[in-house]
Amino acid sequence: MELEKFSYDNKIVRAFIIATVIFGLVGMLVGLTAAIQLFYPVFNFDLQYTTFGRIRPLHTNAIIFAFVGNAMFAGVYYSMQRLLKTRMFSDALSWINFWGWQLIIVAAAITLPLGLTTSKEYAELEWPIDIAIAVIWVVFGINMIGTILKRRERHMYVAIWFYIATFVTVAVLHIVNSFEMPVNLFKSYSWYAGVQDALVQWWYGHNAVAFFLTTPYLGLMYYFLPKAANRPVYSYRLSIVHFWSLIFLYIWAGPHHLLYSTLPDWAQSLGTVFSIMLIAPSWGGMLNGLFTLRGAWDRVREEPVLKFMVVAVTAYGMATLEGPLLSLKNVNAIAHFTDWIVAHVHVGGLGWNGFLIFGILYWMVPRMWGTPLYSKNLANVHFWIGTLGIIFYALPMYISGVTQSLMWKEFNAEGFLVYKNFLETTVQILPMHVLRAIGGGLYLTGTIIMTYNLIKTAYAGSFIADEPAEAAPLAKDVKVSGGWHHVLESKPIMFTVLSLIAILIGGIIEMVPTFLIKSNVPTIASVKPYTPLELHGRDIYIREGCVSCHSQLVRPFRSEVERYDPLGGEYSKSGEYIYDHPFLWGSKRTGPDLHRLGGKYSDSWHYNHMLAPDAVSTGSIMPAYPWLFEQSIDLSQTSLKIKALRTIGVPYEEGYEAIANEELKIQARRISENLQLEGIEVAPETEIVAMIAYLQRLGKDIKASKTASNQ
Amino acid sequence: MRTITLTLIFILTGLTAFAQEAESGSSFWRDPLGDPLFPFYLVTAFVFLTAFLVVIVAVYMLKVLNVFIRKAAEERAEKQGIQYVPQPSLWTKFWNSINAFKPAQEEKDILLDHNYDGIKELDNHLPPWWKWLLYGSIIWAGIYLVMYHVTDTLPLSGDEYQAEVELAQAQKAKFLASNPPAAIDESTLEYSADEAIIAKGRTVYVTNCASCHMPEGQGSIGPNLTDDYWLHGGSIKEIFAVIKNGVQEKGMIPWGPVLSPEQIRDVSYYIKSIKGTNPPNPKAPQGELYTEAAPVEADTVVQADTVKSSI
Repeated sequence: MELEKFSYDNKIVRAFIIATVIFGLVGMLVGLTAAIQLFYPVFNFDLQYTTFGRIRPLHTNAIIFAFVGNAMFAGVYYSMQRLLKTRMFSDALSWINFWGWQLIIVAAAITLPLGLTTSKEYAELEWPIDIAIAVIWVVFGINMIGTILKRRERHMYVAIWFYIATFVTVAVLHIVNSFEMPVNLFKSYSWYAGVQDALVQWWYGHNAVAFFLTTPYLGLMYYFLPKAANRPVYSYRLSIVHFWSLIFLYIWAGPHHLLYSTLPDWAQSLGTVFSIMLIAPSWGGMLNGLFTLRGAWDRVREEPVLKFMVVAVTAYGMATLEGPLLSLKNVNAIAHFTDWIVAHVHVGGLGWNGFLIFGILYWMVPRMWGTPLYSKNLANVHFWIGTLGIIFYALPMYISGVTQSLMWKEFNAEGFLVYKNFLETTVQILPMHVLRAIGGGLYLTGTIIMTYNLIKTAYAGSFIADEPAEAAPLAKDVKVSGGWHHVLESKPIMFTVLSLIAILIGGIIEMVPTFLIKSNVPTIASVKPYTPLELHGRDIYIREGCVSCHSQLVRPFRSEVERYDPLGGEYSKSGEYIYDHPFLWGSKRTGPDLHRLGGKYSDSWHYNHMLAPDAVSTGSIMPAYPWLFEQSIDLSQTSLKIKALRTIGVPYEEGYEAIANEELKIQARRISENLQLEGIEVAPETEIVAMIAYLQRLGKDIKASKTASNQ
Repeated sequence: MRTITLTLIFILTGLTAFAQEAESGSSFWRDPLGDPLFPFYLVTAFVFLTAFLVVIVAVYMLKVLNVFIRKAAEERAEKQGIQYVPQPSLWTKFWNSINAFKPAQEEKDILLDHNYDGIKELDNHLPPWWKWLLYGSIIWAGIYLVMYHVTDTLPLSGDEYQAEVELAQAQKAKFLASNPPAAIDESTLEYSADEAIIAKGRTVYVTNCASCHMPEGQGSIGPNLTDDYWLHGGSIKEIFAVIKNGVQEKGMIPWGPVLSPEQIRDVSYYIKSIKGTNPPNPKAPQGELYTEAAPVEADTVVQADTVKSSI
């Protein structure tokens, strides 16, 4: 058959590489800033745009979607063309993908510091950006499927399987989790409430890790690692078994983020067992990577690209063993809400994603610019400084996580908590937070060294924009023989459909009963919707990202009930959350849980505490919120908020929106008069008043039900 | 190697530091040298460090020994004129067998005719231990679900909580039976300027009360505790009662469920002791003037009356 001449598009890859490096540096810098704030809170410069609650999502979004996302596109665009022996389906779509994605990132970088957030982790962006993400993702998908269809290679290599699974699953996850009811252009409420919102969110959150940080990167590993090592992939069979088991099992594991929560027990158990079953499929990827290096270990010692990849794959193996262990209830009881989880995700993020990206960049750039790497020594320095950074990051976080958790749980012989004041446990771990920031600083330093090295390399060479290649076209009507999977590899549409089915099963089985069967969320008669003022306060709570540090979920442990509800003795119940659009359970307790806060302190305590936390609780690392005392709530939004919530099922009466502001003003005046008694002058429409109203409401309803039943 | 050493030391010190915290409250760090267990910690740390160094040295010795053995074998092979084939170590043998590795020379037999941009694929067996890990985890999953949801052998969250609370109550009852608590309550409490108790009370005050009443008792969110004016009475009995039961409508937390009666007494003594200290920036007086009743037993009745009127 006659060979066809064509060229690979390197320009699009270069664009994504540049974006990767820039956003990598930015994302890490924001992360370092956040880390410093956790022992030196004034590092937010007393600006609302740089407080921890707002830049924490900025850091996670920048790293996940900008750094790891752009690197994923770079690697996919580079490897897919070569594996399928064709240029991308459409250069125009490639560039729409690129610029669309960068616009989304810029939009995120503007809106998140402004406090425009849905508060759902890794899905914080507001609804117009959500729509843009869906559109651009579909553009990427069309471009990918189009490329596969016009391929010159009959069979799809394992990397392509992983890319297909990534595209299909992320699309499903993003769309389902982003169902929200707009209030205006910049504000929406999650369609789901309370425990159901939590289930959808962590089905999404967990699988964002699985299908945005893991499957595409396994695909990249399957291309770049054998290329760099110049060795055949260890086992084709292992690829097949671990690919299908991984994508089928992963989707079920989301509820392990909600162990001991108010999620129905059966769903929690599914989360646990599917996480344990995930160990082997995940390790299949690690083994196939490491065993591919059999016979090439001498080269690993000399080649920084391989060194980065070995650490990346090993970190992947460690993180995917640790994850399932964290899903065991008894381990989770210790680790959840602590720094342990932060350590866990950073072993994955810094080790697996970061190091694999560095390895790939060091491999691609010299080839795209047709010149050897500027300095192998600098790459080695980067490797060691980065490794040291990971160790300095992770170890202190493990220690601080376990230390704090044990302190939370410790009782003395008389049956009282030893560390009654949450702050004592925070102060204890601050030295570990300092070490963690040093680790992050080292890692960032390594990345800066890499940037210099890559720029020098690019200047030394000349860029090959269109890399010439040749291959024979596919013959029509060829009967493919071989094993069933080998046949399947030549049928991309069938392959895509089967992947879709594999990833839909778990989600459907977990969600449908939780939504439809009433007994899964027992209602509590005394739980009422928020008042308009509390609603405004809750929206400020969401805007300020309070959920980054404060949970609203008292788990059924004696130590938590004693700490957070010593008088009422109630852990959190699912019926308490039925009007929470979105849920605000949180995933980390840098500060104490707030679900039983209402009525614990006086209004003036909250007023003073929000103004200067350190003055009220000496040693507190909570930032001050002076702007809440200057800004006023926007009363014109009240009726829109009420109407939006009613549409998604909160039982505000018809016409309530007309009188909502009257009620709001009465409640606000009551609080401001209450503060006046303590000598505090504050206008009723100030944001702090709404905030106090919300904080004082937390946990009140279940207490009301108790009083009612006692009478 | 050095990083590993460093990190191990980190782990050890971090965790032992916690263990010490747990045993002796936070007092260890205030005066580590004076702690009665200090020599014990020192010796333990020394033993750990020595053991650790010994392990490192042993590993190095073993490596050196291996080099000698290999050198000798190579020489012997050279003398006999045959090619030196290194003996695989026990570990290598074990590793090869659990992974069912094919020897490198047989690799070409399992090389598939795949070629993706130069990437070839082998058709190795699934590593046997990996396969069993997969099967094992699936079986474990089945057993887990059956035990929690079919046979109800293991407790779900709610039952687990009940059991935890019952166990704690039983333990507490047992503890109280063998260590009967000093009968401290608001009906019998008398103040005495006991230095030791006041010092303990200060610790309780700093961690729990200073947030509202300020570190020196000058008051902020809560009232000034150093002046002569009291909202709910200034006798030791009244102070104790207010701390224990709280004044919910004013934001005073009931500390009874959180602090032991002894701790509430300690902090009440401390509060009594700081009267008249005139700290800077005091909060304006609140409540009624309270003057200490003459220390005569007959006055208790009158005092009880003031309690009522001032609340």
